[in-house]
Amino acid sequence: MRPLAFVCICAAISLRASATDVAFRLVDAVGAPVADAVVSLVALDAPAKISPPAEPLEIAQNGQEFSTFVTPLVVGTTVNFPNEDKVSHQVYSLSPAKKFVFPLYKPGTRGTVTFDQPGVVALGCNIHDWMRAYIVVLGTPLFGKSARDGTATITAVAPGFYRAEVWHPRLGKNETREISLAASDITARTESFTLALKPDRRIHRSPEGSGGGYK
Amino acid sequence: MAWFRFRRFSIRLLALLLGLLCVTLATTYSLVSSANDASAREHARASLELGARLFETAIRQRIDLSSVTSSLMSADDAIKQVLLETPIDTKTLNSTLASYTQRVGAPAITLFDLERNLLGNTRPDLIDETEGPFAYLIRRASEREMPENNGFSYLGKSRDLHALVVAPLYAPYPNIAYWFGLAFPIDRAFAEKLKETSRIEVTFVSTEDIAHPRVLATTLPDASAKIVADAVALGRRTRAQLTDLVLPDVPAKALATEGDHYVTLVKTHDMVAEDPISIVLQIPLGPELAAARDLESFLIVVSAAALAAAAILALLIARGVSQPVQQLAAHTHVIARGDYKTRLALDRADELGQLADAMNAMSVGLAERDRVRDLLDKNVSPEVAAQLIRDGAALGGQEREVTILFADLRGFTTLSEKLPPTDLLALLNRYLDRMSTAIEAHGGVIDKFIGDGIMALFGAPVAQGDAADRALAAALAMERALADLNRELAAEGRPPLGIGVGVNTARVVAGNIGSHRRLNYSVIGDGVNVAARIESETRKPEHRTNLITSAATLAALRDPEKIFPRLLGKVYVKGRAESVEIFAVAAG
Ligand SMILES: [Cu+2]
Repeated sequence: MRPLAFVCICAAISLRASATDVAFRLVDAVGAPVADAVVSLVALDAPAKISPPAEPLEIAQNGQEFSTFVTPLVVGTTVNFPNEDKVSHQVYSLSPAKKFVFPLYKPGTRGTVTFDQPGVVALGCNIHDWMRAYIVVLGTPLFGKSARDGTATITAVAPGFYRAEVWHPRLGKNETREISLAASDITARTESFTLALKPDRRIHRSPEGSGGGYK
Repeated sequence: MAWFRFRRFSIRLLALLLGLLCVTLATTYSLVSSANDASAREHARASLELGARLFETAIRQRIDLSSVTSSLMSADDAIKQVLLETPIDTKTLNSTLASYTQRVGAPAITLFDLERNLLGNTRPDLIDETEGPFAYLIRRASEREMPENNGFSYLGKSRDLHALVVAPLYAPYPNIAYWFGLAFPIDRAFAEKLKETSRIEVTFVSTEDIAHPRVLATTLPDASAKIVADAVALGRRTRAQLTDLVLPDVPAKALATEGDHYVTLVKTHDMVAEDPISIVLQIPLGPELAAARDLESFLIVVSAAALAAAAILALLIARGVSQPVQQLAAHTHVIARGDYKTRLALDRADELGQLADAMNAMSVGLAERDRVRDLLDKNVSPEVAAQLIRDGAALGGQEREVTILFADLRGFTTLSEKLPPTDLLALLNRYLDRMSTAIEAHGGVIDKFIGDGIMALFGAPVAQGDAADRALAAALAMERALADLNRELAAEGRPPLGIGVGVNTARVVAGNIGSHRRLNYSVIGDGVNVAARIESETRKPEHRTNLITSAATLAALRDPEKIFPRLLGKVYVKGRAESVEIFAVAAG
């Protein structure tokens, strides 16, 4: 029986002048907080202006792992992949949103990719089967990532109609909900989402000398 | 005739015994045989179920192998290099997959993207469409979160049966980037491999077109496989919702040269969006039954021996019965011829022995009767006869004391004028019969009938100590017998009869009297005349009695208490000087 997990999104909306903070609270079926979920708000009235950060982001390879498991970013963001490890890596993606590979690169070197299409990019390493990370390329500047306590907050959201989206590696499909933020809203709202999570399947990192396997 | 009957009896006994034994043996044989048959079938069916599982396992192994293959391919750097290109170079991809077919021994490998578009394909002759069975399996796998999926489908122009497996290409695990599709032909080679381990015949039948069932793969000769396919189609036609079908045994000749029946099990296997295929598993019954057949042959030999033994035994018993019966029959002829001396010696204690003893006793009885008749020319009561034979009789002439009884019928002369002769004679005989019975009942011997008169002797030819008592008792009994007869005559509307009886005791000469041709035992002497004279006295009405006896008789009585004599007077007998005192007698 595959465990079902549910994400409960509670959007606490508080008005501050003409903008509101939208807080998400993500909980699974048994009430446990869900970390590493990407939440975003897509403006339905007028597309929000996207401005990728000037400085590249960084996802390092260290201890034969990616430094960040889930990284949300906007279209056009550049990410550096520095090898801060003791071994070489060969990071790649076969995701349609961005296919790339960094041919075997030694410690101290790095790869750089600019993500120019929205979509989820699954990162792997051809050397280390267990290495895995996700980059969620978004077409909206309103996003956040849930912390260990399962909360994420998107600050200073202007009034209007939005589609709230939640992505998680173990969600089969994004969970979405349309919300309306009125200018007169001054009190925070709490909304709940219930989502099913797939079982947590991963390759367990092999102990020294023995082979790894699917679990 | 008798011989024939006895033969028939023995044959009947033989037939009965052998028949019963035959029924018993045949029942035993058929029970054993059918039990053997049932257990062989049971065993065969169990083997087939095992074979069916073996088949599932074989398929399963192929699928597992495909999974491993896929994960190996998934981890292969080369294909990722090819897939990193945009757009993907189809020719390079196909050649990469083709090199995998060499490496992993899968005959056909395809690659689909997440939208189930066919990207790469090593066998365009088999797989040529995007939304084909592979796409179906991938969609189902995606929907149901299955790590891989498999099924069966017909591929290519000749629509050969293939087992299909779809497995993901992870980049990285558990993120699915592409799907591999592998196809294995389910062909004769596959079926033969299955047969190698299980000795089970396997036939895959498609009933897509129920009128023309198609053999997809088989270990059987083509002609036999065709019969199986037709049987499967018939089974599916006649029963809807068919899952498993037990076929009747297909006649062996069509199936194999062994000349044996096949126990058959049909399993159905779901196809990808098509009618299910039937997997027919068959096992020859012959080898299963071999041991049982040996046992049955042995049983037949034992049965034959038992029948022979029973036949011999039955004949012996029949002879044991018929031989003495024949002897008995023969002995009846001996007796019928008048030979009472020959004895039948059957040394047996059973019923036949008893019958022989009875026949011997009968011979003795017949011999005695003859001897008495020869001696006396008279019928005597069996009691007297026995005494005569036991004591012997001096028939040559002997003076001895005898009580003589004379009886005379009254009114017979008048009666003879009234009745026709036949009736008269009948009436007379009826009377004489009653009187004789009364006399013989008391141990008297009828000496002679003189017209309607009777002369009887007591104390001769066998001496009787109480002859006088017997004679008077007989006389009284005669009176009673006559009274009975008169009651009958009255009922018939006839006049009553009267009787006069005279009894005298005297020493007379007894012996056989007559010519050499015809001898007659009788007595002669004065006493006989006296008895007749006394009897005639009963006619005198002044005596008022029918029964008169002499003083000599009264003197000879052993038990005078029972008799009440009344003196009538004296009579003179012609030729005799002395008078005789006579008495009327009545019962005490
Ligand atoms: Cu690595």
